[in-house]
Amino acid sequence: MEPILEGLGLAFSLYNMALVMAGVLIGVLFGALPGLSSPLAIALLLPFTIMLEPVSAICMMAALYCAGTFGGSITAILINAPGAPPAVATAFDGYPMARRGEAGRALGIAAVSSVTGGLLSLVVFIVATPLLAKVAVSFRPPEYFALTVFALSMLASISGRSSLRNLIAGAVGVLISTIGTHLGTGIERFTFGFHELTEGVEFVPVLIGLFAVSEMLVQSQTGDMALERIKSVVVKLPSREDIRRVAGTVLRSSGIGTFIGILPAEGSTVAAIMGYNEAKRWSPRKHEFGTGVPEGIAGPEAANNAATGGAMVPTLALGIPGSGTTALILAALIAHGFRPGPYLIQNTPEFVYAIFGAMAVGNVAFLVIGLVGAKVFARITLIPRTFLWPMVFGFSVIGAYSLSGSFFDVWVMLIAGAVGFLMRRHGFGAAPLVMGLILGRMLEETLSQSMIMYDNDWLRLLESPIVCGFFALAVLGLAWPAIAARMAARRSRGDE
Amino acid sequence: MRGSVLGRVHRTDLALSLAILALVGAGFYLCTTFEEVSPLFADTIPPDFFPRLMLSVIGVLAVLLPFEHAVRSRRGDSGLDEDRRDTVRPIAYVTFAAALVLVAAAEWLGTYLTLVAICFALPLLWGERRWKPLAAFALGFPTAVMILFTQAFQIYFQPGVFGLNLN
Repeated sequence: MEPILEGLGLAFSLYNMALVMAGVLIGVLFGALPGLSSPLAIALLLPFTIMLEPVSAICMMAALYCAGTFGGSITAILINAPGAPPAVATAFDGYPMARRGEAGRALGIAAVSSVTGGLLSLVVFIVATPLLAKVAVSFRPPEYFALTVFALSMLASISGRSSLRNLIAGAVGVLISTIGTHLGTGIERFTFGFHELTEGVEFVPVLIGLFAVSEMLVQSQTGDMALERIKSVVVKLPSREDIRRVAGTVLRSSGIGTFIGILPAEGSTVAAIMGYNEAKRWSPRKHEFGTGVPEGIAGPEAANNAATGGAMVPTLALGIPGSGTTALILAALIAHGFRPGPYLIQNTPEFVYAIFGAMAVGNVAFLVIGLVGAKVFARITLIPRTFLWPMVFGFSVIGAYSLSGSFFDVWVMLIAGAVGFLMRRHGFGAAPLVMGLILGRMLEETLSQSMIMYDNDWLRLLESPIVCGFFALAVLGLAWPAIAARMAARRSRGDE
Repeated sequence: MRGSVLGRVHRTDLALSLAILALVGAGFYLCTTFEEVSPLFADTIPPDFFPRLMLSVIGVLAVLLPFEHAVRSRRGDSGLDEDRRDTVRPIAYVTFAAALVLVAAAEWLGTYLTLVAICFALPLLWGERRWKPLAAFALGFPTAVMILFTQAFQIYFQPGVFGLNLN
């Protein structure tokens, strides 16, 4: 009980509350602006949070993560331009409802569903994280190696167009993580004589480049959007009738979202689409979906926000990111000198409870901020891109530079930006590369330790049933896209 | 040609695959240039093992790349080309070149003037011609950011040859 109170005390201190509120504001803002996203916001914020207390920094980012997911829905509903990928499904019914003159009702349903999904997933987060960590404490290097292989195999089914490309991007990330001094022998690898690379590639400039600079290059080619804006938004909390109508959908989608979030590498976008599909499947008014039905908003909203709490479970309990954004939070934890994993909650439980408190406050705060400020946030999309993106680039340069006061990191950021731009153009996602980059060191370290344990006998890895279990799950994770495609084809043949 | 192996190959992906394989080859070569391991570490996994393993994985996956399109088209999914249907517009190259020039000049200009240059040059390149808002933005944004970061976060920025900073 004491760590819980201590953690909540930390989260609810005035200073941390102010940072959590700032995180919520930034999150809603970045979520609402098309092109900007919560991973981008965290990547930009990361260098500046290094000088904060670790608890304060991570609490701020956790709140930003929750709020960013909701922020995208505001513009999805009001101007049919989802600010972030997880809000795409919200636009299917949110925008038609807004066009009918019920924008306030749509926003109210989205906000309440999001908060409910977020809070329910936090209950799972706070119960499951210590339990999972307790199990994981008994893991030895071979089990960790197998767990990391499983997490990387999940890249095959992460949101994105191509499993193959996700796996290549993940493997490239792992390869980049090998740059620097080899821990076992002290030999330098791929440093090309740059002393800045002897300790490996800094995560932060790479993240800023992949998310911010590559997006700027994409945005340079687009014109200002001509959007039909919904006027006179008076946000309304859902009526008792609406609540009764969407309650089942919200509960179901919260469960789906939390589960999807817990799966390594899966994130809010997959959860939102599944939440929408399931809401439609269970609804007696299937044919009305797409015309502005409340369940069509509640389903994806509850699911995408529930995924945030779920994604924090493997991130904090195992050190395995539950989504692209939690990969960045994991990078922040590492940058603050923590080793995420079961020992984090064993040694500093108050830290995890503080994050829980910050996320809970963040969820309630974005309900208030989102509802009161929806109109303002929708107007923010009026900022001309000719000013918005130079601002983002300016912050990127300062962020990359300020990390170690070196322009070398700014060059790394630019290279990562160009690589990210090319990758996106050819269907490779940035999130799988980040996952690979973050998990790469763990993968190599645990493999080396396992081989020392087993005298370089690979087959002995299979002595552990947990290792076998994770390898079996990894095979399933790799095969899943093909299985799912076959199942979908069979289903559509059945429908015909 | 249809139905043959060559007919199923996606040309852009083939070029992409070859480029990746060339990089994989270069990576394998670089692995041979690592220093020799002392006999003291004979029991540990050699430093080139893991990079080689990853390069092999990337290589194998890259070989499959040109055929992915055909497999997905058979399922009626042709979304892979969506992002590269249009050619890259020159403004993207110009923007990146400008970013390179600005960062290259940053050590000489100093952080503050670099920010001013970014906030002036990029909007101009992107077609902004409203001079008053542009001037206000190019001066106001960097000044506000520098004051915030130097005063609130105590970050030291390069003053550059003109010795201009707000530290």
